[in-house]
Amino acid sequence: MSHGKIAIIGIGEVPTRIMPERTRWDILYDVCTEAIRDSGLDKNDIEGVINVAPQAQPKLAAELSFGKLPEELGLKGCKDNCTCNAGGASTSNCIRLAEQYITSGLAKAVLIPHVTVHSTVKPEDLISFFAKAGVDMQWEYPFGTTYNILMGMMANRYMHETGAKPEHMASVVTALRSWSSRDPNSFFYNKEVPSPEKVFSSSLLNTPLHKRESNILCDGGSAMVIVSADVAKKMKKPAAYKLGESVRYFSGTPVLRDFHKVAEGLSLTGVEAMKEAGVTKEDIDLWNIYMAYPMNHPIMAEALGIAPIGEGAKYFYDGRMSFGGDIPWSTIGDAPGRGHTGSGVSTAMYVETARQLMGKAGERQVKDCKYVYQNTAGGSGFNNIGTVWGRDL
Amino acid sequence: MDAQDIQFDMTRPLPETQPWSVAFWENAKEGKLVVQHCKDCNTNIFYPRKICPECWSKNLDWIEASGKATVYMFSTAYDMVEPRFWEDIPYTIAYVDLEEGIRMMTRIVDCKPEDIKIGMTVEVVFKKLNDDFYLPYFKPVESK
Repeated sequence: MSHGKIAIIGIGEVPTRIMPERTRWDILYDVCTEAIRDSGLDKNDIEGVINVAPQAQPKLAAELSFGKLPEELGLKGCKDNCTCNAGGASTSNCIRLAEQYITSGLAKAVLIPHVTVHSTVKPEDLISFFAKAGVDMQWEYPFGTTYNILMGMMANRYMHETGAKPEHMASVVTALRSWSSRDPNSFFYNKEVPSPEKVFSSSLLNTPLHKRESNILCDGGSAMVIVSADVAKKMKKPAAYKLGESVRYFSGTPVLRDFHKVAEGLSLTGVEAMKEAGVTKEDIDLWNIYMAYPMNHPIMAEALGIAPIGEGAKYFYDGRMSFGGDIPWSTIGDAPGRGHTGSGVSTAMYVETARQLMGKAGERQVKDCKYVYQNTAGGSGFNNIGTVWGRDL
Repeated sequence: MDAQDIQFDMTRPLPETQPWSVAFWENAKEGKLVVQHCKDCNTNIFYPRKICPECWSKNLDWIEASGKATVYMFSTAYDMVEPRFWEDIPYTIAYVDLEEGIRMMTRIVDCKPEDIKIGMTVEVVFKKLNDDFYLPYFKPVESK
Protein backbone atom coordinates (compact mmCIF):
# COMPACT_ATOMS: atom_id res chain seq x y z
CA MET A 1 0.00 0.00 0.00
CA SER A 2 2.28 2.75 1.19
CA HIS A 3 5.51 0.98 2.06
CA GLY A 4 8.52 3.20 1.60
CA LYS A 5 7.04 5.65 -0.90
CA ILE A 6 7.18 8.92 1.04
CA ALA A 7 9.04 10.61 3.86
CA ILE A 8 8.63 13.61 6.14
CA ILE A 9 11.66 15.77 5.42
CA GLY A 10 10.83 19.00 7.27
CA ILE A 11 8.86 19.99 10.36
CA GLY A 12 7.74 23.22 12.03
CA GLU A 13 5.77 23.94 15.16
CA VAL A 14 4.80 26.68 17.59
CA PRO A 15 4.24 26.10 21.32
CA THR A 16 0.71 25.05 22.26
CA ARG A 17 -0.57 27.75 24.57
CA ILE A 18 -3.61 29.90 25.28
CA MET A 19 -2.55 33.05 23.42
CA PRO A 20 -5.41 34.96 21.78
CA GLU A 21 -2.97 37.64 20.63
CA ARG A 22 -1.34 35.09 18.30
CA THR A 23 -3.56 35.02 15.19
CA ARG A 24 -4.22 31.98 13.06
CA TRP A 25 -2.31 33.39 10.11
CA ASP A 26 0.53 34.42 12.42
CA ILE A 27 0.86 30.76 13.40
CA LEU A 28 0.51 29.52 9.83
CA TYR A 29 3.32 31.79 8.65
CA ASP A 30 5.59 30.55 11.45
CA VAL A 31 5.00 26.81 11.16
CA CYS A 32 5.05 26.71 7.35
CA THR A 33 8.22 28.75 6.93
CA GLU A 34 9.93 26.71 9.66
CA ALA A 35 8.91 23.39 8.06
CA ILE A 36 10.03 24.41 4.57
CA ARG A 37 13.35 25.80 5.86
CA ASP A 38 13.84 22.62 7.89
CA SER A 39 13.29 20.53 4.75
CA GLY A 40 16.17 22.24 2.96
CA LEU A 41 13.89 22.94 -0.01
CA ASP A 42 13.09 26.30 -1.56
CA LYS A 43 9.58 27.64 -1.00
CA ASN A 44 8.92 27.36 -4.71
CA ASP A 45 9.70 23.62 -4.60
CA ILE A 46 6.38 23.09 -2.75
CA GLU A 47 4.00 21.88 -5.45
CA GLY A 48 1.06 20.86 -3.30
CA VAL A 49 -0.61 22.16 -0.14
CA ILE A 50 -2.96 19.86 1.77
CA ASN A 51 -4.49 21.57 4.79
CA VAL A 52 -5.57 19.77 7.94
CA ALA A 53 -9.17 20.92 8.36
CA PRO A 54 -9.52 23.32 11.28
CA GLN A 55 -12.44 22.41 13.54
CA ALA A 56 -14.89 24.99 14.95
CA GLN A 57 -13.26 27.73 12.81
CA PRO A 58 -15.49 28.00 9.71
CA LYS A 59 -13.97 31.23 8.35
CA LEU A 60 -10.44 29.82 8.42
CA ALA A 61 -11.66 26.51 7.00
CA ALA A 62 -13.13 28.36 4.02
CA GLU A 63 -9.98 30.45 3.51
CA LEU A 64 -7.72 27.39 3.52
CA SER A 65 -10.04 25.26 1.41
CA PHE A 66 -10.29 27.96 -1.22
CA GLY A 67 -6.57 28.28 -1.69
CA LYS A 68 -5.33 31.23 0.37
CA LEU A 69 -2.23 29.68 1.91
CA PRO A 70 -0.02 29.21 -1.20
CA GLU A 71 -0.81 32.82 -2.12
CA GLU A 72 0.01 34.19 1.36
CA LEU A 73 3.36 32.37 1.43
CA GLY A 74 4.22 33.05 -2.20
CA LEU A 75 4.56 29.39 -3.10
CA LYS A 76 5.13 30.08 -6.78
CA GLY A 77 5.49 26.41 -7.72
CA CYS A 78 2.23 25.29 -6.13
CA LYS A 79 0.05 23.30 -8.52
CA ASP A 80 -2.88 22.56 -6.22
CA ASN A 81 -4.37 23.07 -2.76
CA CYS A 82 -7.08 21.29 -0.80
CA THR A 83 -8.32 20.64 2.71
CA CYS A 84 -8.99 17.25 4.26
CA ASN A 85 -11.39 16.66 7.14
CA ALA A 86 -11.65 13.41 9.06
CA GLY A 87 -11.54 14.94 12.54
CA GLY A 88 -8.52 13.68 14.47
CA ALA A 89 -7.68 11.42 11.53
CA SER A 90 -7.41 14.37 9.14
CA THR A 91 -3.61 14.46 9.17
CA SER A 92 -3.35 10.76 8.31
CA ASN A 93 -5.53 11.42 5.29
CA CYS A 94 -3.53 14.52 4.34
CA ILE A 95 -0.43 12.31 4.32
CA ARG A 96 -2.22 9.73 2.16
CA LEU A 97 -3.23 12.49 -0.24
CA ALA A 98 0.34 13.76 -0.27
CA GLU A 99 1.45 10.27 -1.24
CA GLN A 100 -1.06 10.34 -4.10
CA TYR A 101 0.13 13.79 -5.23
CA ILE A 102 3.73 12.54 -5.19
CA THR A 103 3.34 9.06 -6.70
CA SER A 104 1.05 10.37 -9.46
CA GLY A 105 3.68 12.90 -10.43
CA LEU A 106 1.53 15.91 -9.55
CA ALA A 107 3.93 17.17 -6.89
CA LYS A 108 7.52 16.61 -5.83
CA ALA A 109 7.01 18.19 -2.39
CA VAL A 110 3.82 18.70 -0.39
CA LEU A 111 3.21 21.00 2.59
CA ILE A 112 0.74 19.87 5.27
CA PRO A 113 -0.12 22.66 7.76
CA HIS A 114 -2.47 22.87 10.70
CA VAL A 115 -3.56 25.70 12.98
CA THR A 116 -6.20 26.04 15.66
CA VAL A 117 -6.90 29.05 17.86
CA HIS A 118 -9.61 28.14 20.32
CA SER A 119 -9.13 31.15 22.57
CA THR A 120 -10.82 33.60 20.21
CA VAL A 121 -13.83 31.41 19.45
CA LYS A 122 -16.92 32.46 21.41
CA PRO A 123 -17.34 30.12 24.42
CA GLU A 124 -20.93 29.32 23.48
CA ASP A 125 -19.81 28.31 19.99
CA LEU A 126 -17.03 26.09 21.34
CA ILE A 127 -19.35 24.41 23.81
CA SER A 128 -21.96 23.85 21.14
CA PHE A 129 -19.40 22.47 18.66
CA PHE A 130 -17.86 19.96 21.05
CA ALA A 131 -21.28 18.91 22.35
CA LYS A 132 -22.52 17.98 18.90
CA ALA A 133 -19.50 16.83 16.88
CA GLY A 134 -19.44 13.06 16.45
CA VAL A 135 -22.76 12.58 18.26
CA ASP A 136 -26.05 11.59 16.61
CA MET A 137 -28.55 14.45 16.74
CA GLN A 138 -31.56 12.18 16.92
CA TRP A 139 -30.54 9.17 18.99
CA GLU A 140 -27.87 10.58 21.33
CA TYR A 141 -27.69 14.36 21.65
CA PRO A 142 -31.22 14.90 23.06
CA PHE A 143 -30.31 12.70 26.06
CA GLY A 144 -27.57 15.13 27.10
CA THR A 145 -24.44 13.19 26.19
CA THR A 146 -20.99 14.73 25.70
CA TYR A 147 -17.53 13.55 24.59
CA ASN A 148 -16.58 13.33 28.25
CA ILE A 149 -19.58 11.10 28.96
CA LEU A 150 -18.84 8.83 25.99
CA MET A 151 -15.29 8.36 27.23
CA GLY A 152 -16.52 7.89 30.79
CA MET A 153 -18.86 5.11 29.71
CA MET A 154 -16.04 3.32 27.90
CA ALA A 155 -13.76 3.68 30.91
CA ASN A 156 -16.47 2.30 33.19
CA ARG A 157 -16.86 -0.72 30.93
CA TYR A 158 -13.09 -1.25 30.77
CA MET A 159 -12.81 -1.06 34.55
CA HIS A 160 -15.75 -3.45 34.90
CA GLU A 161 -14.14 -6.01 32.61
CA THR A 162 -10.57 -5.76 33.87
CA GLY A 163 -10.89 -4.76 37.49
CA ALA A 164 -8.64 -1.75 36.86
CA LYS A 165 -8.68 0.63 39.81
CA PRO A 166 -9.40 4.37 39.56
CA GLU A 167 -5.84 5.23 40.64
CA HIS A 168 -4.53 3.01 37.84
CA MET A 169 -6.66 4.91 35.31
CA ALA A 170 -5.54 8.25 36.78
CA SER A 171 -1.90 7.23 36.39
CA VAL A 172 -2.22 7.53 32.60
CA VAL A 173 -2.33 11.31 33.08
CA THR A 174 0.78 11.11 35.24
CA ALA A 175 2.59 9.24 32.45
CA LEU A 176 1.46 11.61 29.71
CA ARG A 177 2.31 14.70 31.75
CA SER A 178 5.76 13.28 32.56
CA TRP A 179 6.52 13.64 28.85
CA SER A 180 4.73 16.94 28.21
CA SER A 181 6.47 18.58 31.17
CA ARG A 182 9.67 18.10 29.13
CA ASP A 183 8.20 19.28 25.82
CA PRO A 184 8.68 23.01 25.11
CA ASN A 185 5.77 22.87 22.68
CA SER A 186 3.31 21.45 25.20
CA PHE A 187 0.91 23.46 27.33
CA PHE A 188 2.17 21.70 30.45
CA TYR A 189 5.87 22.31 29.71
CA ASN A 190 7.81 22.81 32.92
CA LYS A 191 4.65 22.26 34.97
CA GLU A 192 4.33 19.89 37.90
CA VAL A 193 3.59 16.28 36.99
CA PRO A 194 0.53 15.34 39.06
CA SER A 195 0.61 12.07 40.97
CA PRO A 196 -2.20 9.57 40.31
CA GLU A 197 -3.59 10.55 43.69
CA LYS A 198 -3.68 14.22 42.71
CA VAL A 199 -5.38 13.40 39.41
CA PHE A 200 -7.88 11.18 41.20
CA SER A 201 -8.61 13.84 43.82
CA SER A 202 -9.57 16.50 41.26
CA SER A 203 -13.27 17.17 40.87
CA LEU A 204 -15.46 14.56 39.21
CA LEU A 205 -16.83 15.60 35.80
CA ASN A 206 -18.67 12.40 35.05
CA THR A 207 -17.94 8.95 36.37
CA PRO A 208 -15.14 7.92 36.39
CA LEU A 209 -13.59 10.97 34.62
CA HIS A 210 -11.92 13.63 36.79
CA LYS A 211 -11.09 17.18 35.85
CA ARG A 212 -7.39 16.41 35.42
CA GLU A 213 -8.28 13.53 33.08
CA SER A 214 -10.01 15.92 30.70
CA ASN A 215 -8.49 18.23 28.08
CA ILE A 216 -7.67 21.93 28.05
CA LEU A 217 -8.61 23.68 24.82
CA CYS A 218 -5.54 25.49 23.52
CA ASP A 219 -4.08 27.28 20.51
CA GLY A 220 -1.34 25.82 18.38
CA GLY A 221 -0.08 24.80 15.01
CA SER A 222 2.42 22.64 13.19
CA ALA A 223 3.43 21.71 9.66
CA MET A 224 5.40 19.14 7.75
CA VAL A 225 6.90 18.76 4.30
CA ILE A 226 6.50 15.43 2.49
CA VAL A 227 8.65 14.21 -0.40
CA SER A 228 9.17 10.86 -2.06
CA ALA A 229 11.34 8.38 -0.22
CA ASP A 230 13.80 8.45 -3.11
CA VAL A 231 14.14 12.22 -2.92
CA ALA A 232 14.59 12.06 0.85
CA LYS A 233 17.36 9.49 0.42
CA LYS A 234 19.15 11.64 -2.14
CA MET A 235 18.94 14.69 0.13
CA LYS A 236 20.95 12.79 2.77
CA LYS A 237 19.04 14.49 5.58
CA PRO A 238 17.40 12.97 8.63
CA ALA A 239 13.88 11.96 7.61
CA ALA A 240 10.91 9.86 8.70
CA TYR A 241 9.97 7.21 6.14
CA LYS A 242 6.43 5.86 6.05
CA LEU A 243 6.73 2.07 6.11
CA GLY A 244 3.28 0.68 6.81
CA GLU A 245 -0.34 1.51 7.41
CA SER A 246 -3.63 -0.14 8.27
CA VAL A 247 -7.09 1.17 9.15
CA ARG A 248 -10.45 0.02 10.45
CA TYR A 249 -13.77 1.87 10.38
CA PHE A 250 -15.99 1.34 13.41
CA SER A 251 -19.12 3.51 13.31
CA GLY A 252 -20.18 7.11 12.94
CA THR A 253 -22.66 6.91 15.81
CA PRO A 254 -21.03 6.09 19.15
CA VAL A 255 -23.82 3.82 20.41
CA LEU A 256 -23.24 1.49 17.47
CA ARG A 257 -19.54 1.19 18.35
CA ASP A 258 -19.09 -2.18 20.00
CA PHE A 259 -16.43 -2.07 22.71
CA HIS A 260 -14.88 -5.42 21.77
CA LYS A 261 -14.91 -4.78 18.01
CA VAL A 262 -13.07 -1.51 18.62
CA ALA A 263 -10.44 -3.34 20.68
CA GLU A 264 -10.15 -5.94 17.93
CA GLY A 265 -9.76 -3.16 15.33
CA LEU A 266 -7.04 -1.46 17.36
CA SER A 267 -5.22 -4.78 17.46
CA LEU A 268 -5.64 -5.65 13.77
CA THR A 269 -4.48 -2.25 12.54
CA GLY A 270 -1.34 -2.65 14.62
CA VAL A 271 -0.64 -6.15 13.34
CA GLU A 272 -1.26 -5.22 9.71
CA ALA A 273 0.70 -1.95 9.76
CA MET A 274 3.71 -3.66 11.34
CA LYS A 275 3.49 -6.55 8.87
CA GLU A 276 3.54 -4.15 5.94
CA ALA A 277 6.50 -2.36 7.48
CA GLY A 278 8.32 -5.67 7.97
CA VAL A 279 8.77 -5.15 11.70
CA THR A 280 7.46 -6.73 14.87
CA LYS A 281 6.35 -5.00 18.03
CA GLU A 282 9.72 -5.80 19.54
CA ASP A 283 11.29 -3.54 16.89
CA ILE A 284 9.19 -0.50 17.79
CA ASP A 285 11.15 2.07 19.80
CA LEU A 286 8.30 4.52 20.41
CA TRP A 287 4.55 4.00 20.65
CA ASN A 288 3.23 7.42 19.66
CA ILE A 289 -0.37 6.83 20.62
CA TYR A 290 -3.17 9.33 20.00
CA MET A 291 -6.33 8.63 21.96
CA ALA A 292 -7.42 12.20 22.90
CA TYR A 293 -8.51 10.95 26.34
CA PRO A 294 -6.20 9.21 28.83
CA MET A 295 -8.53 6.41 29.72
CA ASN A 296 -8.29 4.82 26.27
CA HIS A 297 -4.52 4.39 26.45
CA PRO A 298 -4.65 1.17 28.52
CA ILE A 299 -7.08 -0.32 26.00
CA MET A 300 -4.61 0.47 23.21
CA ALA A 301 -1.66 -0.94 25.18
CA GLU A 302 -3.52 -4.22 25.56
CA ALA A 303 -4.77 -4.26 21.95
CA LEU A 304 -1.20 -3.86 20.67
CA GLY A 305 0.00 -6.69 22.89
CA ILE A 306 2.29 -4.44 24.88
CA ALA A 307 0.46 -5.14 28.12
CA PRO A 308 -1.41 -8.35 28.93
CA ILE A 309 -5.20 -8.13 28.68
CA GLY A 310 -6.52 -6.44 31.80
CA GLU A 311 -3.16 -5.04 32.88
CA GLY A 312 -2.83 -1.97 30.63
CA ALA A 313 -3.72 0.52 33.34
CA LYS A 314 -1.39 -1.22 35.80
CA TYR A 315 1.49 -0.75 33.34
CA PHE A 316 0.88 3.00 33.42
CA TYR A 317 0.58 2.96 37.21
CA ASP A 318 3.94 1.18 37.42
CA GLY A 319 5.51 4.00 35.39
CA ARG A 320 6.48 1.86 32.42
CA MET A 321 5.06 4.39 29.90
CA SER A 322 6.33 7.45 31.78
CA PHE A 323 9.47 9.44 30.94
CA GLY A 324 12.31 7.15 32.02
CA GLY A 325 10.16 4.02 31.76
CA ASP A 326 10.97 1.05 29.56
CA ILE A 327 8.08 1.64 27.07
CA PRO A 328 8.38 5.13 25.48
CA TRP A 329 4.79 6.23 24.87
CA SER A 330 3.14 9.39 23.47
CA THR A 331 6.15 11.60 23.99
CA ILE A 332 4.24 14.89 23.66
CA GLY A 333 1.71 13.64 26.20
CA ASP A 334 -1.20 13.22 23.74
CA ALA A 335 -4.02 15.76 24.12
CA PRO A 336 -4.09 15.63 27.93
CA GLY A 337 -0.44 16.69 28.05
CA ARG A 338 -0.03 18.74 24.89
CA GLY A 339 -3.29 20.71 25.19
CA HIS A 340 -6.21 20.10 22.84
CA THR A 341 -5.93 21.82 19.45
CA GLY A 342 -8.85 20.20 17.63
CA SER A 343 -7.54 18.03 14.82
CA GLY A 344 -4.07 19.42 15.47
CA VAL A 345 -3.01 17.03 18.21
CA SER A 346 -2.58 14.26 15.67
CA THR A 347 -0.68 16.64 13.35
CA ALA A 348 1.63 17.45 16.23
CA MET A 349 2.08 13.76 16.91
CA TYR A 350 3.23 13.11 13.32
CA VAL A 351 5.63 16.02 13.74
CA GLU A 352 6.87 14.37 16.94
CA THR A 353 7.23 11.01 15.17
CA ALA A 354 9.45 12.74 12.60
CA ARG A 355 11.29 14.68 15.31
CA GLN A 356 12.14 11.49 17.19
CA LEU A 357 13.28 9.67 14.05
CA MET A 358 15.34 12.71 13.00
CA GLY A 359 16.97 12.69 16.45
CA LYS A 360 15.78 16.19 17.32
CA ALA A 361 13.56 15.52 20.36
CA GLY A 362 15.89 16.96 22.98
CA GLU A 363 15.32 15.72 26.52
CA ARG A 364 12.52 13.45 25.29
CA GLN A 365 14.68 11.82 22.62
CA VAL A 366 14.16 8.06 22.58
CA LYS A 367 17.60 6.48 22.39
CA ASP A 368 18.55 5.13 18.96
CA CYS A 369 14.99 5.59 17.70
CA LYS A 370 14.63 3.54 14.51
CA TYR A 371 10.92 2.71 14.35
CA VAL A 372 7.81 4.54 15.59
CA TYR A 373 4.28 3.20 15.65
CA GLN A 374 1.73 5.98 15.45
CA ASN A 375 -2.04 5.88 15.35
CA THR A 376 -4.76 8.46 14.83
CA ALA A 377 -8.53 8.31 15.15
CA GLY A 378 -11.30 10.61 14.00
CA GLY A 379 -14.48 12.06 15.46
CA SER A 380 -15.48 10.45 18.70
CA GLY A 381 -13.58 7.34 17.56
CA PHE A 382 -15.15 6.37 14.24
CA ASN A 383 -11.93 4.72 13.03
CA ASN A 384 -8.34 3.89 13.87
CA ILE A 385 -5.38 4.36 11.56
CA GLY A 386 -2.12 2.66 12.51
CA THR A 387 1.13 3.64 10.82
CA VAL A 388 4.77 2.62 11.13
CA TRP A 389 7.56 5.07 10.42
CA GLY A 390 11.30 4.43 10.22
CA ARG A 391 14.41 6.56 10.11
CA ASP A 392 15.58 4.51 7.13
CA LEU A 393 13.86 2.65 4.32
CA MET B 1 -15.76 38.14 29.20
CA ASP B 2 -18.22 37.72 32.06
CA ALA B 3 -20.41 34.63 32.23
CA GLN B 4 -23.53 36.80 32.00
CA ASP B 5 -22.35 38.11 28.61
CA ILE B 6 -22.45 34.64 27.08
CA GLN B 7 -25.66 33.81 25.26
CA PHE B 8 -26.21 30.09 25.78
CA ASP B 9 -29.05 28.27 24.07
CA MET B 10 -31.06 26.99 27.03
CA THR B 11 -33.84 25.34 25.02
CA ARG B 12 -34.19 21.58 25.27
CA PRO B 13 -32.98 19.95 22.03
CA LEU B 14 -35.47 17.82 20.15
CA PRO B 15 -34.58 14.74 18.08
CA GLU B 16 -33.79 15.66 14.48
CA THR B 17 -36.02 13.15 12.71
CA GLN B 18 -36.00 11.63 9.26
CA PRO B 19 -39.16 10.58 7.40
CA TRP B 20 -38.46 6.92 8.15
CA SER B 21 -37.98 7.49 11.88
CA VAL B 22 -41.20 9.41 12.55
CA ALA B 23 -43.07 6.22 13.45
CA PHE B 24 -40.62 5.59 16.31
CA TRP B 25 -41.50 8.92 17.89
CA GLU B 26 -45.23 8.57 17.16
CA ASN B 27 -45.21 5.27 19.05
CA ALA B 28 -43.18 6.78 21.88
CA LYS B 29 -45.96 9.33 22.31
CA GLU B 30 -48.31 6.40 22.88
CA GLY B 31 -45.97 4.86 25.45
CA LYS B 32 -44.69 2.18 23.09
CA LEU B 33 -41.02 1.41 22.41
CA VAL B 34 -40.77 0.08 18.88
CA VAL B 35 -37.91 -1.39 16.90
CA GLN B 36 -37.57 -1.24 13.14
CA HIS B 37 -37.66 -4.71 11.60
CA CYS B 38 -36.69 -6.00 8.17
CA LYS B 39 -39.33 -8.44 6.92
CA ASP B 40 -36.99 -9.86 4.28
CA CYS B 41 -33.90 -10.74 6.33
CA ASN B 42 -35.56 -10.72 9.76
CA THR B 43 -33.12 -8.18 11.22
CA ASN B 44 -34.03 -5.84 14.06
CA ILE B 45 -32.56 -2.44 13.21
CA PHE B 46 -31.36 0.43 15.39
CA TYR B 47 -31.31 3.22 14.62
CA PRO B 48 -34.10 3.27 12.00
CA ARG B 49 -32.94 3.55 8.37
CA LYS B 50 -34.49 4.22 5.00
CA ILE B 51 -33.40 0.76 3.86
CA CYS B 52 -32.27 -2.30 5.80
CA PRO B 53 -28.53 -1.90 6.45
CA GLU B 54 -28.09 -5.69 6.16
CA CYS B 55 -29.87 -6.53 2.88
CA TRP B 56 -30.95 -3.10 1.50
CA SER B 57 -34.58 -4.20 1.51
CA LYS B 58 -37.28 -1.52 1.72
CA ASN B 59 -39.68 -4.08 3.17
CA LEU B 60 -39.43 -2.60 6.67
CA ASP B 61 -41.90 -2.69 9.55
CA TRP B 62 -41.98 -2.04 13.29
CA ILE B 63 -42.23 -4.45 16.20
CA GLU B 64 -43.11 -3.47 19.73
CA ALA B 65 -40.26 -4.10 22.14
CA SER B 66 -40.77 -5.66 25.56
CA GLY B 67 -39.28 -2.53 27.10
CA LYS B 68 -36.86 -4.62 29.16
CA ALA B 69 -33.10 -4.09 28.81
CA THR B 70 -29.77 -4.50 30.59
CA VAL B 71 -27.24 -1.76 31.21
CA TYR B 72 -24.14 -2.29 29.04
CA MET B 73 -22.23 0.78 30.21
CA PHE B 74 -22.97 4.13 31.78
CA SER B 75 -21.56 7.39 33.12
CA THR B 76 -23.11 9.86 35.55
CA ALA B 77 -22.57 13.53 34.73
CA TYR B 78 -21.80 16.00 37.53
CA ASP B 79 -20.21 18.84 35.54
CA MET B 80 -19.14 20.10 32.08
CA VAL B 81 -22.36 19.42 30.23
CA GLU B 82 -24.07 21.90 27.94
CA PRO B 83 -25.84 24.69 29.84
CA ARG B 84 -29.19 23.49 28.46
CA PHE B 85 -28.74 20.30 30.56
CA TRP B 86 -27.45 21.96 33.74
CA GLU B 87 -30.77 21.69 35.55
CA ASP B 88 -30.68 17.89 35.19
CA ILE B 89 -27.29 17.35 36.90
CA PRO B 90 -26.53 14.76 38.13
CA TYR B 91 -27.88 12.52 35.41
CA THR B 92 -26.78 9.17 34.05
CA ILE B 93 -26.30 8.38 30.37
CA ALA B 94 -26.19 4.69 29.48
CA TYR B 95 -26.11 2.24 26.63
CA VAL B 96 -28.74 -0.44 27.22
CA ASP B 97 -29.19 -3.76 25.43
CA LEU B 98 -32.83 -4.49 24.59
CA GLU B 99 -34.21 -8.01 24.61
CA GLU B 100 -34.76 -7.54 20.88
CA GLY B 101 -31.00 -7.54 20.30
CA ILE B 102 -30.36 -3.86 19.78
CA ARG B 103 -28.38 -1.32 21.82
CA MET B 104 -29.52 2.26 22.36
CA MET B 105 -28.47 5.34 24.30
CA THR B 106 -30.73 6.47 27.09
CA ARG B 107 -30.86 7.88 30.58
CA ILE B 108 -31.23 5.78 33.71
CA VAL B 109 -33.76 7.42 36.03
CA ASP B 110 -35.72 6.82 39.22
CA CYS B 111 -32.73 5.61 41.21
CA LYS B 112 -29.60 6.95 42.89
CA PRO B 113 -26.61 7.19 40.53
CA GLU B 114 -24.50 5.09 42.89
CA ASP B 115 -27.02 2.23 42.63
CA ILE B 116 -26.58 1.89 38.86
CA LYS B 117 -24.52 -1.14 37.84
CA ILE B 118 -23.43 -2.68 34.57
CA GLY B 119 -25.69 -5.65 33.85
CA MET B 120 -28.66 -4.42 35.90
CA THR B 121 -32.12 -4.97 34.47
CA VAL B 122 -34.06 -1.87 33.50
CA GLU B 123 -37.38 -1.08 31.85
CA VAL B 124 -38.54 1.76 29.65
CA VAL B 125 -40.33 4.88 30.86
CA PHE B 126 -41.07 7.85 28.66
CA LYS B 127 -40.02 11.42 29.42
CA LYS B 128 -42.11 14.12 27.77
CA LEU B 129 -40.12 16.82 25.97
CA ASN B 130 -43.12 18.46 24.29
CA ASP B 131 -46.37 17.33 22.68
CA ASP B 132 -44.46 15.64 19.85
CA PHE B 133 -41.51 13.99 21.54
CA TYR B 134 -41.22 11.56 24.42
CA LEU B 135 -37.69 10.25 25.06
CA PRO B 136 -37.31 6.58 26.06
CA TYR B 137 -35.58 6.58 29.44
CA PHE B 138 -35.05 3.45 31.55
CA LYS B 139 -35.46 2.75 35.26
CA PRO B 140 -34.41 -0.21 37.36
CA VAL B 141 -36.98 -2.99 37.34
CA GLU B 142 -36.54 -3.27 41.11
CA SER B 143 -37.80 0.31 41.61
CA LYS B 144 -41.38 -0.54 40.63
